[in-house]
Amino acid sequence: MSSDVVIRAEGLVKIYRTDAVETLALRGVDLSIHKGEFTAVAGPSGSGKSTLLHLLGGLDRPTSGEVFLEGKALSKLHPEELARLRLERIGFVFQAHNLIPVLTVLENVTFALELRGVPARERERRAREVLAELGIEKYAQQFPHRLSGGEQQRVAVARAVVGDPAVVLADEPTASLDGENSRALIDLMRRLNETRGTTFFFATHDARLLDRVKRLLILEDGRIVSERVQA
Amino acid sequence: MRYALRNIKRAKRRAVYTFLATFYPALILVIMFGFAAGEMQSLFDSATKLETGHLQIRSAKELSGGSIPIFALPEGLVDELAHSDLLEFWTLRLDLPALAAIGSRSYGVVVQGVEPEKIRRISPVPGLVVQGRYIGGSGEAVVGEELARLLNLAVGDALVLLSAHPEAGMGAGVVMVVGIFRAPQAEMGRTIVQVSLDTAQDLVRRENAVTSVVAYVAGVTGPWHASRIEKAAAELEKILPPGLAVKKFAELAPEVAVFMQIARPVLTAFSAIFFILGGLVVLNSFYLAVLERTRELGVIRALGASRKWIMAALFWEVLVLSGSGAVLGALLGTGLIALVEKLGGLRLPGAYSEYLRAFGVDPILHLRVSPGEVAGAALAMIGVAVLSAWYPARRAARLDPVEAMRYVL
Ligand SMILES: Nc1ncnc2c1ncn2[C@@H]1O[C@H](COP(=O)(O)OP(=O)(O)O)[C@@H](O)[C@H]1O
Ligand SMILES: [Mg+2]
Repeated sequence: MSSDVVIRAEGLVKIYRTDAVETLALRGVDLSIHKGEFTAVAGPSGSGKSTLLHLLGGLDRPTSGEVFLEGKALSKLHPEELARLRLERIGFVFQAHNLIPVLTVLENVTFALELRGVPARERERRAREVLAELGIEKYAQQFPHRLSGGEQQRVAVARAVVGDPAVVLADEPTASLDGENSRALIDLMRRLNETRGTTFFFATHDARLLDRVKRLLILEDGRIVSERVQA
Repeated sequence: MRYALRNIKRAKRRAVYTFLATFYPALILVIMFGFAAGEMQSLFDSATKLETGHLQIRSAKELSGGSIPIFALPEGLVDELAHSDLLEFWTLRLDLPALAAIGSRSYGVVVQGVEPEKIRRISPVPGLVVQGRYIGGSGEAVVGEELARLLNLAVGDALVLLSAHPEAGMGAGVVMVVGIFRAPQAEMGRTIVQVSLDTAQDLVRRENAVTSVVAYVAGVTGPWHASRIEKAAAELEKILPPGLAVKKFAELAPEVAVFMQIARPVLTAFSAIFFILGGLVVLNSFYLAVLERTRELGVIRALGASRKWIMAALFWEVLVLSGSGAVLGALLGTGLIALVEKLGGLRLPGAYSEYLRAFGVDPILHLRVSPGEVAGAALAMIGVAVLSAWYPARRAARLDPVEAMRYVL
């Protein structure tokens, strides 16, 4: 079991302090993400989903507790080492405005590969392959603002998976989409999960999307209140 | 750096500001360098051609009262100068304070004993003669119009000269006025009486007496050759017998030397204002750019770009903009200067121009700028721009990705 654990979180607590106000965003979360999983973390707005994903992805540090990415304790890493780790091992999809507006769709997808020093020919081959798989290859040379919201999010997913990360962390990737597009996006992610074996861990507060996931965590008030594995 | 170039395209207006903020200072600095060099040349010419020369050999003594000490030209020195290739040209002078008198009238003057043939090359006086002719030999004199009027002199009159040099005592002689010149300056017209060197030597009753050897150093065409003058002066010092000293034009015309010394610092300080303004525009423009791109920089950082990458992206941007701005500005400046030169230089305005011409100085300002100055102006501007972008770039690199992505403009 331990060898296929991609991320393990132990006792994650996150307290935001702003002036006099303290917000307890996470109150002790333990979880493991295994290779090849397709997991959703659901919960109402403010339940701590984004906070959890930020901590798991090394974008922020917990107040206490530890995150292990492929066995490596993130709290021991320098910010630049964390950046490197994100670059190489994690794919991110955010709610909206994911894409770099001055770069074309293709350039957006190859961006992280370029930062990693993958040769140009190789980057383009891999990016076109993923774009084709997501049915948006025809937009390769377009700039993001020419695409619909659903298409933009698909590009973001393409960018997240193209580098074959250990896990793709997606924070409400469908938040800006209508029901139909939301479902289509989750279906695409699911397909990538099957074809490429990419591990997905995404947050949502849209209950309608949850029948597509293999594993479901419910987060309430900074605590995981239930967990369900489904076929 | 594709991202940097795209950002330039994205915010064209901002790119134009940054470009202009580096273009104008570089342009202005190069043109100012051009003017400074032209002005210095003009000053140098008026200083050195005004019978001062690049340097003078004089007695090392100092006399109170402003007279130049007299010394006996050592035997062999003339030969030595003639054989040395240090000097392109030199001539002997004996300047004496004197009283010029005719009938019952008299006036205090400076008698300049000159070598008539040689002095033509450097003194404006031969060219300024408006009545009669310039002196050709012993016993002749030319005087200015003002002096002629004061003493009621005409060509052909005999003039009595009473010299009173502190080292030589009184001396007297009679010369014939063979010409009257129109001086560019009333003071000069009132006080200068030019005679041949031997005539002046007769007044002090000393053969070989001179006050100075006025010399021009080979290969010196302008103030930028000051170091050659220095070198020649040092060489000359070695062959001079004791008691004689070399005075460089900087000592002979101190006001010009001072101007040349301060011109560059003053110019630099002046252009620094433009550079600072340019830098502030760059700073402002990049600060706003970073603010505007906060969200996207957050995404880039979240994806795993290093701080170095983000700094580099912004530096590329400023480098491309300020590089093209500064280089084009400096080149345009160089081009304008070359154009002005091709059209024959800048004519100086009226009175000053007449004044210079009267002294035999070209009244046209020749702008010039050296490749070093052009490169220096462009590089300095680029340096200022990059430094100005430092703070915004650092801010961008230190953005917290989570905070940055939450940022809405
Ligand atoms: N940077 C922050 N500063 C202060 N409070 C925050 C910050 N980020 C989140 N919170 C608070 O933490 C709690 C959890 O927020 P979040 O993780 O964004 O929840 P979700 O993504 O489930 O909506 C909320 O109460 C939110 O107001
Ligand atoms: Mg959220």
